[in-house]
Amino acid sequence: MRSCSLPPSIERARPLLGTVVAVRVRAAAPRAAHRAIDQAFAAVLEIHRLMSFQEEESDVSRLNRAAAHAPVTVHPHTFRVLAWAARMAQLSQGLFDASIGSTLVKWGMLAAPRAAPLCGGSRASFRDIELRNGQQVFFKRPLWIDLGGIAKGYAVDRAVAALHACGVTSACVNAGGDLRTAGTEAERVTIRTAASPLDVLPLVEIRRGALATSCSAISARSHAGEQVGCHVSGQTHRAVNARITVSVLAARCVIADALTKVVLADEAAAAPLLRRFHAVAHVHHPDRPGTGWRTIGGLQ
Amino acid sequence: MKNARLLLIPLSPLALVTPAYAVTYLTVEQAQTLMFEGSVLTRDTRELTAAQIQAIESDSGVKVINPQVNAWHDSAGGWFLLDQVIGKHEFINYAVALDASGAVRQLEILDYHESYGGEVHLPAWRRQFIGKHHGSALQLNGDIKNISGATLSCGHVTDGVRRLLATYALVLASAEH
Repeated sequence: MRSCSLPPSIERARPLLGTVVAVRVRAAAPRAAHRAIDQAFAAVLEIHRLMSFQEEESDVSRLNRAAAHAPVTVHPHTFRVLAWAARMAQLSQGLFDASIGSTLVKWGMLAAPRAAPLCGGSRASFRDIELRNGQQVFFKRPLWIDLGGIAKGYAVDRAVAALHACGVTSACVNAGGDLRTAGTEAERVTIRTAASPLDVLPLVEIRRGALATSCSAISARSHAGEQVGCHVSGQTHRAVNARITVSVLAARCVIADALTKVVLADEAAAAPLLRRFHAVAHVHHPDRPGTGWRTIGGLQ
Repeated sequence: MKNARLLLIPLSPLALVTPAYAVTYLTVEQAQTLMFEGSVLTRDTRELTAAQIQAIESDSGVKVINPQVNAWHDSAGGWFLLDQVIGKHEFINYAVALDASGAVRQLEILDYHESYGGEVHLPAWRRQFIGKHHGSALQLNGDIKNISGATLSCGHVTDGVRRLLATYALVLASAEH
């Protein structure tokens, strides 16, 4: 075998970020490997605590409660993720938008934050999120941010950074399908589509890169006569097609994670953005002729 | 971009079939060594009474499926608890280390199994791709360790931990050892 199953490898998994996060480390002494894995989990846990929509003490909850009244200072990690979110939002002209929290709450995808009333009225967007010096964040109008579309990817990147800091050179971190590899060996990944978990799955091979897959199928439900799910187009505030599965390969998981949302929202508009980040998207649509797969982006 | 070294090889439309996804992270012994290094663990399995089950369910809001509590304790008041949770398509074995105050010190998933309870659908036109990857046969459960797709839920584990903490408070904490 030539993939990550090469011994010695140690893999552990914990429930984090609402999913199962697995960390696999190769070519390391067992004791050092376990210490490194502990550090990787600690890095993921830190992001989880900072950016959870539900946990009341997270930066995201503090922002949703107070940033429309006065600037709120956040952790450098949160600020960095917000900066990535702002960049993705600008480049995608709002297809990716972290201000969709209220839409997801309205659809029952997220529980409404406590003590954070949101007045109705005009629709807020990423343009209302102001990032200021000193890691301060201000909302120009009341809104709820949700970093669920990007924080998991960032957490995976942080876990890989933690492994590097421990001297690990060969590893794979997989947070429920958002994954990143480090080292020279190739990782093979099967992609599960929305069409059928029993169906055959395409395979991609990654070397020193990241892969993220998004699909609304599991979360799909009906709301006020419309099909909704956990993924929203920031431009239209409508649910994306739950039958589509998007996998994006990119250099960093934060990029791959965010780009899946852009591709889900608008394949054609996403193409230049994929090329900009040297990323590739594999898009599955059950109604597409042939295999149902189409590849778009920069490395075809 | 600093991704000059990035090498991504999309192999689509290469396809393969995966019967069921299963991965083992740690054995029980490995988890015990990892979580209680240097300590001696004593097996302390309990059989819950109907009244205890009712109390645990009422306290945690989680149904007790297995009346047996797979527990070990160490000499310092710590506990190693082995548990299983079952979801719609998956079951997960996991271990929890509690410190002497009953707080979760560590949680490790031991193994993860996923099954959709049916035969894998394999369209004939795709058969030609099976095992054809750079001329070598793919060993599906050995070679493929990653699945990317619909997010695996960990909600059942969270519920399981709540049930275990209630079990500790109502049954184990009062035990003498």
